[in-house]
Amino acid sequence: MNVLCVKKMGIQFGGLKAVTDFCLDLPEGVIYGLIGPNGAGKTTIFNMLTGVYKPTTGAIEAFGNLVTGLAPCKITHYGMARTFQNIRLFKDLTVLDNLKVAIDQDPNFPRVSIFHSIFKTAKFIENENEKNRRGYELLKIFGLEDKQQNLARNLPYGAQRRLEIARAMATGAKILLLDEPAAGMNTKETVDLMSTIRMVKSKLGITTLLIEHDMKLVMGICERITVLDYGVTIAEGTPSEIQQNPRVIEAYLGKSATTH
Amino acid sequence: MSGPIQISNRLGKFHSNWIWLVTGIFIWLISIFLTDQINPYYLNIILYSGINIILAVSLNLVNGFTGQFSMGHAGFMSVGAYASAFITTYFQAHHVDLFSNPLIGQSIFVGSLILGGLVSCAAGYLVGLPSLRLKGDYLAIVTLGFGEIIRVIFLNVDAVGGSRGMPGIPPLSNFGWIFSFVVLTVFVVERLIKSPQGRSFLSVREDEIAAEAMGVNITGAKVRAFVIGAFFAGVAGGLFAHQLQFINPVTFDFNRSFEIIIMVVLGGMGSISGSIVAAVFLTTLREALRPLQEITQVDLRMIIYSFLLIVLMLTRPNGLFGTKEIFDFLPGKKK
Ligand SMILES: Nc1ncnc2c1ncn2[C@@H]1O[C@H](COP(=O)(O)OP(=O)(O)OP(=O)(O)O)[C@@H](O)[C@H]1O
Ligand SMILES: [Mg+2]
Repeated sequence: MNVLCVKKMGIQFGGLKAVTDFCLDLPEGVIYGLIGPNGAGKTTIFNMLTGVYKPTTGAIEAFGNLVTGLAPCKITHYGMARTFQNIRLFKDLTVLDNLKVAIDQDPNFPRVSIFHSIFKTAKFIENENEKNRRGYELLKIFGLEDKQQNLARNLPYGAQRRLEIARAMATGAKILLLDEPAAGMNTKETVDLMSTIRMVKSKLGITTLLIEHDMKLVMGICERITVLDYGVTIAEGTPSEIQQNPRVIEAYLGKSATTH
Repeated sequence: MSGPIQISNRLGKFHSNWIWLVTGIFIWLISIFLTDQINPYYLNIILYSGINIILAVSLNLVNGFTGQFSMGHAGFMSVGAYASAFITTYFQAHHVDLFSNPLIGQSIFVGSLILGGLVSCAAGYLVGLPSLRLKGDYLAIVTLGFGEIIRVIFLNVDAVGGSRGMPGIPPLSNFGWIFSFVVLTVFVVERLIKSPQGRSFLSVREDEIAAEAMGVNITGAKVRAFVIGAFFAGVAGGLFAHQLQFINPVTFDFNRSFEIIIMVVLGGMGSISGSIVAAVFLTTLREALRPLQEITQVDLRMIIYSFLLIVLMLTRPNGLFGTKEIFDFLPGKKK
């Protein structure tokens, strides 16, 4: 079953066609890569999928629901959540509260009314503790459980990236969109991140669409890859197909071809 | 710290709500002693401090905790003040016998306060829904404009005295009611910010784009904070009207809004205890400066306010307490 279907999605900024006729079918549980040179339109695709930008053409279906042009918060409720290329944590909240903001929105958790919140009823306490447990569980997956009381701003860079992924998962989303999750990480952190992404896939059935410049990571964990250049899809296939595709090599030549 | 954090609503054998209720009852006990014993001049300062605490803490919910810079708090205060004063003066004029029974008199008063708060809520919703889509400076300007519009409206409505204002408002405010509402305000805001609703406010302050991406309805969160803030501003307005016994539109001009903002900034955006300390400090300071002002014939208050703010911005750019609470500074609570 495809959890995400994107049909001929495109967007235009003034005269600039940033993305043209982008198509994508994500089967459940896949780890899918989206690559391309700088300015190819990868982040713009994420912005359209999550409702930050409204696509000028095309349709997006998540879990069979048409979500094209919905508000970002609605799309998250449909089960698709993201991270940001330039980290956007709630810096002055604790690590745990960063997750709890997202858990509060998880449709699987009962909502407590403002009345219960103000009077700290038994229902409220139970709900909070349940969320604390859920938050802790997620932090454990990302090796952040000892930091739950720290302010997010005090985490090292790599840990902030991981927290952002944990926060996206905390929304209850089953599709994760990760925008350069390994940017700024050292080799060991990148390797750990790869195994974590594989783990959430196999244990929790999470589907991942990731943008990444680190070719070792992309080729290492993605089952399929789409390559974008100037907003146009130039190739689609398995990592080995992509590596041998002449158009891909051409697009990368003179940019990052020297690095591998 | 290992394992998930688990919270409780108990303090020993009691539900923690009891502390607040006991504090509320304690207020009335103090009021019995205080009102007769204390010099009325000092009592007056204490009462205005209380009203300013309500205003500052409720504005902090919007400006500090939700990060929406509103400059129209005096506007909401005036809506509550006029609404409740209108109700009690109406009853005083047409059914004065009702006030001879203190129980009924007090009920009318508290009812008028709540109603004033609710009218203010409605105004908050009307202003907030369209304007909270704006950011930063734009929101500040729109809310400032709202405050002025409200003032001009009251200036032109003859039923509430126009520019002459409303005299003869019954003196129903007292220590007990003012500080009961102080306790209620602090109680609600403190509980709120540690709840799912409050976390959505904080997330909006921290990063709107991320908050929205995590599923938070950011316009909803802002409007909710705005409306709750407006409610308490309205109640404070009602208490104020029945304390001063006279209100006119000038009382609620933008200077009043600035004064409340200064309290919030001085105490620390996002610190309840900061707002309380700053409200008491500035109210007292203002009274202390009054004699000096009469001698020099200049409005020294504004000069000193601005001087204070400059010093503060240089030494503690995040306000007295920043986003911390007073308890966080006590020894033994260090993390
Ligand atoms: N809001 C916008 N208005 C105008 N142009 C935009 C807007 N957002 C993106 N673009 C343009 O769209 C193109 C694609 O940008 P995008 O950020 O999607 O690239 P990217 O593939 O994520 O690149 P990088 O690898 O550097 O992150 C760029 O030319 C960019 O300038
Ligand atoms: Mg990008």
